[in-house]
Amino acid sequence: MGRRILCFLLSIFLLSAVTFYMARIAPGDPLVSYYGDRAEKMSPKERKWAEEKLGLDDPITVQYIRWLERAFHGDFGISYKYKTDAVDVIKGRAGNTLILGGIGFVLIFVLSLLLGVLCAWNEERLLDRMICKIGTAASCIPEFWLSLVLILIFSVNLRLLPSSGAYTVGGEGEISDRIRHLILPMVVVVASHLWYYAYMVRNRLLEEVRADYVLLARSKGLRKRSIMFRHCLWNMMPSYLSIMAVSVSHILGGTYIVETVFSYPGLGTLAYESARYQDYNLLMVLCLMSGILVILCNMAAQMINEMIDPRMRTAPVMSKSRKSRPPEAAGKAGK
Amino acid sequence: MAGEFEFAGIKEIVRAESVRRKKWYEGKPILSMLLLGLIIAGCLNCSLIMTKDPSYMDLQNYNVPPNREFLFGTDTMGRDIFSMIWYGGRISLFIGIVSTVISTVTAVIFGAFSGSAPVWADRFLMRLTEILLSVPGLLAVIFMQAVLGEANVYSISLVIGITSWMSIAKVVRTEVRKLRSSEYVIAARCMGGNFFYILRAHLAPNFVSSIMFMAAMNVRSAIVAESTLSFMGIGLPVEVISWGSMLSLAENALLANSWWMILIPGGFLIVTLLCITDIGNYLRKNMNRMESNL
Repeated sequence: MGRRILCFLLSIFLLSAVTFYMARIAPGDPLVSYYGDRAEKMSPKERKWAEEKLGLDDPITVQYIRWLERAFHGDFGISYKYKTDAVDVIKGRAGNTLILGGIGFVLIFVLSLLLGVLCAWNEERLLDRMICKIGTAASCIPEFWLSLVLILIFSVNLRLLPSSGAYTVGGEGEISDRIRHLILPMVVVVASHLWYYAYMVRNRLLEEVRADYVLLARSKGLRKRSIMFRHCLWNMMPSYLSIMAVSVSHILGGTYIVETVFSYPGLGTLAYESARYQDYNLLMVLCLMSGILVILCNMAAQMINEMIDPRMRTAPVMSKSRKSRPPEAAGKAGK
Repeated sequence: MAGEFEFAGIKEIVRAESVRRKKWYEGKPILSMLLLGLIIAGCLNCSLIMTKDPSYMDLQNYNVPPNREFLFGTDTMGRDIFSMIWYGGRISLFIGIVSTVISTVTAVIFGAFSGSAPVWADRFLMRLTEILLSVPGLLAVIFMQAVLGEANVYSISLVIGITSWMSIAKVVRTEVRKLRSSEYVIAARCMGGNFFYILRAHLAPNFVSSIMFMAAMNVRSAIVAESTLSFMGIGLPVEVISWGSMLSLAENALLANSWWMILIPGGFLIVTLLCITDIGNYLRKNMNRMESNL
């Protein structure tokens, strides 16, 4: 356990260092994000003063150490663009992303299990083949294009659903309004990830059905349904759970694109803005947050595996879970 | 009675129906290959097909729906979409292929190196790949693109290439690990074959089939990544025509309710992706035929 925590801290430290240096070396003017267009009209003297005030005139390493020192005290600096504490800016947005990503994750989790079982149950029959074809086609559609088409159909032409934002201005408290704004982004998030996991469930179940214990159970007279749900499904649960734990970061990465298309005020749009406008402090916190999330999820996956399947205790679990992903994984990894 | 046999009849020889030989096209993704071939041929010979100059902005005919003169209509800047599709397809496909080459070469070298390195180095390198793999790909691309600044075709291919090699590298490493202590590799090493020679002559033929499908999928995800980046405004600028940058005008298209600007480039994109997936699936099934025990 101690080793794991050490590993965790080390990775966080490395991540912060890499992000910090990369962001500072990148071309672009952080003063623009703080002062807006005024930054371009500044005289050299004013510039120098402004840089000194924001602490940007020191060498990068000095800046980094200063940042680190403050971060240990829980002070992550102010966002240059919003002029308030970076953590506060994120707090205001995180809820929206959590709703979109969280509900999306649960939906994907449940639906992919259902769809996978349905396919495996009807193996090679018409239903299975049809779902497979549709799923493969659906997984080819880029997220942003699907969002565009949905906006075109449902908000531009049919005028049923709003095309952007998380709520109508003024109606922040109304739940029905929120839900209406959530439908389209949610559909995109779920549709673009669903098949990938459902296909995995299907293939794992098909492997499982061919195992010897199924034959034994059949000869004992157990019904098909109870074999499928009591035995096969449980046996593939460890690998499924660990993949779903790793998938959290991928689903979050997916919501980022959807957020920018629907201009949904979440962390994705914030990350995009901060990377574009050199809002260093904000970018650092966001990177650290997603890094911590990714690492925590991987650790959770490992823990789940070890709890369910003692055989995995010594083997490196990440590689194990990766291998059991369907070959589609290669295609998605870059997504 | 001896010597006398009762004649019971002759058993007819059952003429087994000879197993019908498969036609050459059976089981192959003919439709996908044909479509993909058509699209690639059309893009390569775009100068023969184009009816208009793709970058000419015809300000009298902007936002025109598809008609006789402008087969797929024009966009909000007055450019002919039909010509842009073929012209821009070249760049999209080019980026897909170049970044796949970059990622595959990186992956093979990295994987082979890690596979044949001592255990501690191997463990370290694999940890590194796992960390990189768990970063959402597109975020890494966006971040690197922000660092590199103004994008062009090559920088985009590079960025996409170096963010998508990890999963192939893991497969290569596993295969190399299995092979590295086999007799013929040791023999080759004894006779002084260097790393790259052994990789090319002995290791590569063994893992090429298992990374084929992944490479095909990388082409697909590279094309998607390019179009997503261009759409979000951090990829190719609007003047450089590609399927993605054509879609970056989609906001205007939504306001003007001009479906042809969204559906037509997207349709081409998706058909291409589907064809690549289909061919990739065929490759996987064919190559892995021996491994399946089902």
